[in-house]
Amino acid sequence: MTRNSLSVTDLEAHALSLRKRVVQMVGKLRVGYLQQGLGAADIFAAVYFGELRLREDDPDWPARDRCILSTAHNTALLYATFAERGLIDPAWLDGYTQDGSPLEVNASERLGSLVEATCGSLGQGLSVAVGMALSLRRKGLPSRVYVILGDGELQEGQVWEAALSAGGHALSNLTMIIDRNDMQVEGHTDKVVAMDPVGAKFAAFGWNAMEIDGNSMAAIVGALDQARDTPDRPTVIVARTLAGAGVGFLEGQLRHVARITPEEATRAMGVLNGVAA
Amino acid sequence: MTETSITGMGGFKDAQFYRQEALSARSYGQALLAAAKADERIVCLGADLSQPTETYLFRDQIPERFFMLGIQEANMVGVAGGMARAGDIPFAHSFCVFITRRVYDQIAMQAAYPKLPVKLVGFIPGLATELGVSHQAIDDIALMRALPNMAVIEPSGPEQIGAAFAATLGYDGPVYLRLSIARTKPDETTPLVPLELGKGLVVREGTDVALLACGAMVAEALVAADQLAGQGISATVANLASLKPFDAALVERLARQHRVLITAENHSVIGGLGSAVAETLALAGVATRFAMIGVRDVFAEGGTTPYLMEKYGLTARHIVERAVALRRRT
Repeated sequence: MTRNSLSVTDLEAHALSLRKRVVQMVGKLRVGYLQQGLGAADIFAAVYFGELRLREDDPDWPARDRCILSTAHNTALLYATFAERGLIDPAWLDGYTQDGSPLEVNASERLGSLVEATCGSLGQGLSVAVGMALSLRRKGLPSRVYVILGDGELQEGQVWEAALSAGGHALSNLTMIIDRNDMQVEGHTDKVVAMDPVGAKFAAFGWNAMEIDGNSMAAIVGALDQARDTPDRPTVIVARTLAGAGVGFLEGQLRHVARITPEEATRAMGVLNGVAA
Repeated sequence: MTETSITGMGGFKDAQFYRQEALSARSYGQALLAAAKADERIVCLGADLSQPTETYLFRDQIPERFFMLGIQEANMVGVAGGMARAGDIPFAHSFCVFITRRVYDQIAMQAAYPKLPVKLVGFIPGLATELGVSHQAIDDIALMRALPNMAVIEPSGPEQIGAAFAATLGYDGPVYLRLSIARTKPDETTPLVPLELGKGLVVREGTDVALLACGAMVAEALVAADQLAGQGISATVANLASLKPFDAALVERLARQHRVLITAENHSVIGGLGSAVAETLALAGVATRFAMIGVRDVFAEGGTTPYLMEKYGLTARHIVERAVALRRRT
């Protein structure tokens, strides 16, 4: 059972639903954050449904948990999650990326405090999370702070400044999840700059570091449990995810902004519904 | 600030007392400490440099609200944004050049765009350092002025620090406060100078030329006004400590009342006070004889402050020469 008393099976059902919404949203646009949306659906389901304590009717509740999407760009999945969790009206998803919609390509706080910080300029989200964790701890609030980074984002120097300060300040109320999907605009992250071992780097900075299968709900839930049970350090979960996960014919294709034809979208939805391959 | 904000902080006097103490402080460190005693939301962030940024007082007296992050300004600005989002009023400190130019994108995204009460406090403005180009902030006002939601304040000296601090705290949004390191003990006998955000202050009335200055150049402008008086030229001096929001109405009035208008700033002539005045004059359609005293479009070098101010044309003498030349021009 998770912090919010959902089972792994419950969360897997949410993840499947999120994948369908992602295919629907990006399929309609024919281009977008498809591959990373499918890849990180399990993480988002686990964090937003299993972990985060939020009040649907009071988004500014001071004692809420915080979650920051530091890349700000995996937004089909993010907005689908907000809708699935009852934080925004699902009808808004129809306006995703359309002019005038607060559901921008990169998430901004025009959407309110659901977007806890406007990021997208890479490398900044962890610093903001550190500030929140320090402040909430000083006030004695039980709130936990979660931050999701992309793996390419680790190339930004500010991430390591923030990692040093989170470790130095022993922020046990802070959990970082790295979406290790090997994907950045230029191509495979390791072909851009070698980054492994990722977990060991953070361990050396004073973090509790885990490397897990980011498409295994049981593994994600177990890691989040362990993070909460670590009293003296921040935790980083390096979650290895598969681009396009859950839709066989898309899996493993590293495309930062993917194009998808209406036929492919229909086929992908069929796969997710268990009626196509 | 609410009276209840100090509940549970035994040992401190009442909030009103400390607010008054902050307003009348002649050093930044004293003003910050006094205000923090009145308001629990105030937190102090450092990137090394507690001594030169006068935050050691806060560190020693309110350690639970002092956060030393180490030499990592980019992270500090992001942390400040996160703390502000959790209800704090963070004051983040470094030298002027590192709290602005070095962390521009972090400020834009984590303080200015969300209009958070993140207060960026920089020391060593312009050429006021021996260390050299790395530490000389000649474009910091320009950078901060260009950011939506950002307020920019540079007080004339110790006599205006308390008021500058109060204006910084009072603005519900991000502020860049540009300060000089106090090299000597402040003179307690000179009258305190007020500061209202968005308002300039005429500190000397004249009729022939108007000298508009900020920061340490206010004192130079006053010396220049004395020297001009010796030549039979009557000078008005205005202290434009609120660089943004800017007192366009005062500038326009002074331009209409004087044949010559000269700005003086310890900063590049591009993007700072001179630019703000020029923009104001152009938009108001006021034609006047106009000159800008400041660092020309060059990088300076390491050297003592008097040497650099002389070499790069930032002294009372340079103001006088420009004023006399502009008066003669037909």
